[in-house]
Amino acid sequence: MANSQTSHENSHVAHHFVDSGQQFDSAKLGMWVFLVTEILFFGGLFVAYIVYRAWHPELFLMAAQELDTMMGAVNTVVLIGSSLTMALAIRAAQLNQQKNIVMYLLITIGLALTFMVIKYFEYTHKFDLGIYPGEYYTYDGIAHPKAAIFFSIYYMMTALHGIHVIIGVGLMVYLLVKVRQNTYNAEYYTPIEITGLYWHLVDIVWIFLFPLLYLID
Amino acid sequence: MSGHHIISLKYLIGTALALLVLTIITVAVAYIHIPAPFNIVVAIGLATIKATLVAAIFMGLIWDKKINTMALLFSMLFFVIFIAITLLDTLYREEPFWIY
Repeated sequence: MANSQTSHENSHVAHHFVDSGQQFDSAKLGMWVFLVTEILFFGGLFVAYIVYRAWHPELFLMAAQELDTMMGAVNTVVLIGSSLTMALAIRAAQLNQQKNIVMYLLITIGLALTFMVIKYFEYTHKFDLGIYPGEYYTYDGIAHPKAAIFFSIYYMMTALHGIHVIIGVGLMVYLLVKVRQNTYNAEYYTPIEITGLYWHLVDIVWIFLFPLLYLID
Repeated sequence: MSGHHIISLKYLIGTALALLVLTIITVAVAYIHIPAPFNIVVAIGLATIKATLVAAIFMGLIWDKKINTMALLFSMLFFVIFIAITLLDTLYREEPFWIY
């Protein structure tokens, strides 16, 4: 438990906070406010999805056949695994286990990269068929005049999500550098906690994208 | 006071296993062809249960200050308003919908 009297242990506390605990809670609330904006950011794309699915339900049935359910399912499991290892990294920081923080962050980065490699194979397979977003769409395997719209929505949602995964990897690399410099301990690990919140939100977005895009039967 | 709750391994691994099982159920349900409106309801319902597990346990909301949960709930409320007001327009347009 942080104590404001032992000043050398609280060198991370900024002068406008009463103590380490208040600073920690403020940082977390700040991150939650950011996540609220993220939910509404992705929300715009989910609304586009809902509007177009309401207009063209048969299109979504046909176009989703082009998506590889197996790859989507594997990526779902990969992200769930990475959420677990991220939570374990936070736990390691709380228990002052420096080596475990590094190990769990490395596994999380590995899983995030696995996700992106699978995405890469999905995207290149579609590009080979001529399934590009918007006006660049040239595939004629789906007998529907609005087929390009489904894939524009698919690419926007999955690419925005993919960008978040890449940003997450960048944040975790930063954390690794900081762990090497012995920045974090049981008293102060706020950046790991905050990055964890971000990473779990990225997982939650995928939890909704997977059934909405891949599992339309 | 600082609310640094250390989540037990039992909770963390149990949550991950529950998420795995729910993912398998989500995929299995897609293959048994539930009739039209209910397949979406079941898929979104299962995804919501999974998201709730992640938010409650992995993101630690159940041990946190309640204001963090409030922030999440309000974002969902405004997301629902976003959907509802947009659909009030797009579902009831005069022009035939296939021009969009």
